[in-house]
Amino acid sequence: MGTLFSRRAVLAGLTSGAALSTLPINHAFAALDDKPFYFLTPDEARFLAALCDTLIPEDDFPSASQAGVVDFIDLQLAGPYGKGQFIYMQPPFPSGTPEQGYQVSLIPATFIRQGIAALMEAETGFVDADTEARSSVLTRLSEDDFDLGDLPAKPLFDELWTLTNQGYFADPIYGGNEGYAGWEMVGFPGAHAYYLSFVDKHNVPYPQPPTGINHEPGGDGRIPSGLKPQEV
Amino acid sequence: MPDKTLPRTDVVIIGGGWTGLTAAYELAHEGQKCVVLERGDHRHDATSFGAPEEHDELKYALHHTHMMDVKTSTLTFRNNRSQRALPMRRLGSFLPGEGLGGAGIHWNGQIWRPLPSDLEMRSHYESRYGAQFIPENLNVQDWGVTYEELEPHLDFFEKICGAAGYAGNLNGETREGGNVFEGPRSDEYPNPPMKQPIRSTLFGEAAADMGLHPFPLPSANVTQKYENPYGAQLHPCTYCGFCERFGCGYFAKADPIICVYDRIKEHENFEIRFRSTVMRVEKSEDGQTATGVTYIDSDGLEVFQPADVVCMNAYALWNVHLMLVSGLGRPYDPQTGTGTVGRNYAYQTLAGVDVFFDEEIITNPFMGAGALGTVIDDYNGDNFDHSELGFVGGGYVACNQYHGRPISYQPTPEGTPPWGAEWKRAVRENYLHHAGIGVHGSSMATPDNFLDLDPTWTDSFGRPLLRMTFDFPDNDRRMSNYVMERAVEIARNMEHVRSYSSSNRAAEGSGYSIEPYQTTHNTGGAVIGTDPSTSVVNRYGQMWDHHNVFVFGACLFPQNLGYNPTGPLMGLAYWTLDHLKSDYLANPRPLMDA
Repeated sequence: MGTLFSRRAVLAGLTSGAALSTLPINHAFAALDDKPFYFLTPDEARFLAALCDTLIPEDDFPSASQAGVVDFIDLQLAGPYGKGQFIYMQPPFPSGTPEQGYQVSLIPATFIRQGIAALMEAETGFVDADTEARSSVLTRLSEDDFDLGDLPAKPLFDELWTLTNQGYFADPIYGGNEGYAGWEMVGFPGAHAYYLSFVDKHNVPYPQPPTGINHEPGGDGRIPSGLKPQEV
Repeated sequence: MPDKTLPRTDVVIIGGGWTGLTAAYELAHEGQKCVVLERGDHRHDATSFGAPEEHDELKYALHHTHMMDVKTSTLTFRNNRSQRALPMRRLGSFLPGEGLGGAGIHWNGQIWRPLPSDLEMRSHYESRYGAQFIPENLNVQDWGVTYEELEPHLDFFEKICGAAGYAGNLNGETREGGNVFEGPRSDEYPNPPMKQPIRSTLFGEAAADMGLHPFPLPSANVTQKYENPYGAQLHPCTYCGFCERFGCGYFAKADPIICVYDRIKEHENFEIRFRSTVMRVEKSEDGQTATGVTYIDSDGLEVFQPADVVCMNAYALWNVHLMLVSGLGRPYDPQTGTGTVGRNYAYQTLAGVDVFFDEEIITNPFMGAGALGTVIDDYNGDNFDHSELGFVGGGYVACNQYHGRPISYQPTPEGTPPWGAEWKRAVRENYLHHAGIGVHGSSMATPDNFLDLDPTWTDSFGRPLLRMTFDFPDNDRRMSNYVMERAVEIARNMEHVRSYSSSNRAAEGSGYSIEPYQTTHNTGGAVIGTDPSTSVVNRYGQMWDHHNVFVFGACLFPQNLGYNPTGPLMGLAYWTLDHLKSDYLANPRPLMDA
C-alpha cells in the first residue's frame, strides 16, 4: 500500500512549530524521500511521528522521527515482522497471565494499524498536544489503563515502544538510526567490530566513529551507501 | 504407511547439533553407516556468518534468524496445573536452534564442568547434612555417573573446542587463579584465558579482596591459533561483541560446524539430510527396540528410515516431545507421580546486580565475547556450607562483558523512567560506565514442574505441542536471593561504583515468565539414572524401554546445575558414545538390568 505523499513531505507537515522543522536534509534515507510509504498512510505516519518523538524526544541528539524511526516502522510493518512471520498464529487466542506472554490474535501490521486508528479516535488532539499531554496518554497506554475496545492496550504500547527503540538503534540499513544518531549518542562503533588489541586497554575511549553494515571502506563513515531493507 | 521406505542404515541420528554431529563423527569412524536428519537448512560459518552482515542486531539477536521457526512449531506454557497452558507465540525466555549446528551456533561458548558433588547430589547432601536435609518436595537425584568417569570426556570436549582458561585443580593440586573448587583436571586447558576488560578486572579485584576466588570464565571463544583433535583450525577471538545469538564468521567460537561437521562431512559412512523433520521413532512389535524413524523430507514426503540404532540428539525439549509423540517410555503423571518421560524438567535461576561507575571507568561494552569475564564459584553447588541456609544448590557469580549492542544494552540506574527525555539521557550517560554482575543459579526438579503434550494446539505437522508447566521452586527462590546478596556485597566492594541495583528473576511472588530472555538452558524431562522408576535412560544414556535408543543432551540432567549445560552434556555424550563403541555395537542389549 502506498500513498501519493513523500515521506519527507508528510513528516515535515507534522506540526507547524515543533520537532520536525529540524529534519536534516542529508539524512540517511534521503533516497526514500520521493517514495511513498510502503505501508503507512500519511495520517498514520504523522501520528507515529508524534508518538515516537514522545518516547525519544529531541535533545542534543535527534528525536526518533528525526532519526528516521517512522521510515523504519513503515518498512517493518510492510516486511516479515508486520506479516507475523516471527509469531505462532494458530488459534484459539484465549487470554492468559502476563507470564504467558504475547497472545494477540492479529498479525503485527494489522494490530498496529487498528491500534493507531483506535488511539487517533480516542485522542484526537494527540499530534498537536504538548509533550506532557502526549506522555500522559502513553503512560496510561503502557499501564493498560486505556480502553481500546477489543485491542489490548499494554501489548500495543510494548510493540510501538519496541519498534521505536529498534528504529533508533538498529543498523541504518533498516531505515532508522539516521546519520548513526543512536550509535553516536551512546558511543557504539557499529558493525565493523574487531577489538582484539583494544579490549584490555582499560578506560580508553574508542576513537573510531560508527560504521554500519553498508558502510563503504574509505567513506566518511556517515552515510550508508544504499538502502537494503528486508524483503518487503 | 509412509510414502517410501529407505534401505536400512546402522545408525540414524535425530538432529545436527553438537551431540548429533559428534555421534556421527565417532560412530562413522567406528565403521557405522550414519544418517543425520536435520530439520533445518545447511549453513556454514564461512558463507553464512561473515562480518559485517552478521553484525546485525535486529536480524539475528532480535528477529532470531538463526533460531527455531516458532511460526510452525512451539510449545505451550503455564506456571502451574490449575492454569490453561497457552502457546509461546514468540521466542523469548529461551532460544532453541534450527539448522546445521543447532543452538551450538549461537551459544556463548561458556564451557563448564559439573562439580563432583553435583553428579552425586542426593548422596552428597545426605552424607554431609543428614538424610532429612533435602526438602521433601524436591526430586533431587544422583546422575548415576561420577565425575571421575566423565572427566576424560569433559577433557576431550574442551580440546574439541580449544577451550581457554586456567586450571584451578590439576590432578588434585589446587592452583590460585583458577577455579579452586572444581574437580581434578587431568590436563591444562588447551588455550590460555581470555583478556579481561576493566569491568571484570574491578570485579575480580573486589572479590579477591574479600577472600573469594575469582578466575577467568572458561571460554570456547578461542584465544590463539589452534587445531583440535579432529583437525579443525580455529582462530583467535576478536572480541567483536556479536557472539551469543550470532554465528562466528571469524572461526573463533567453537561450534559444531567447524569443529565437527567439516571433519566428517566427506566420510563414506556419513550422510546428512536437511529439511528432514522426524515425526516419530518407530517401535518394534515386541516393544523391546526401535526399528527406525519416520520423517518428513524436504519434498514433504513421509519417509521411513530403518536403523539398527536410533540416537536422539534434538534440543532437550524436542527430544522429550519426540518421545511423547512416539510413545517411547512412560509419560510422567503428576497426579500419581509415576512415569518418567517429562519428569524433572528444570531450568536456570538467574539474578543479578547492575553496577554504575563514575566517569573515570570507561567500559567500552561493545568489546565483548560470549565467554568473556571474571567469575567466582564460592557460592555454587555445595562449595559453601548449606547447613543453616534452608536450601540446596547455588550458582556462580560473574561479571561478564558480552556486548554493547545498543537496542539490547541500555543500562539505566534504578528509578529512571522507562522512556522519554530522562530515559534517553540516562542511556547516553551510562552506556560506557556500567557493569552487570550475573548470578547463574541451579534449578531443582519438583513433582510439579514437568513436560507433557498439550490438548489444544498443534505444530504445522498436526502433532500436539509440548506443554511446559514450570515455576521457580521455593528452594531456588531462597538460593537465588542468597547468592544475589553475596553478589551485592561484591558490588559494594568494587572501586569507582556510583550506584547499584539488584534484581532476581525468582524473587518471592513473581512467577517464571516465558517472555523476557533468561537463558537457553532447558534441562530434564528424559533424565539419566540407575533406577527405571525415576529415569528414562540408564547411566549409559540408553533407554530402559528400548535398548537401541540412545539419548543425548541436557534432557538427561536430573536437575540443573549452577553451570551452563554444554560442557556437561557433551561430557555425557562422549561417555555414551564410548560405551556404544566399546560394548553395545558388538553385543546389542540392555547395558544395565532394569
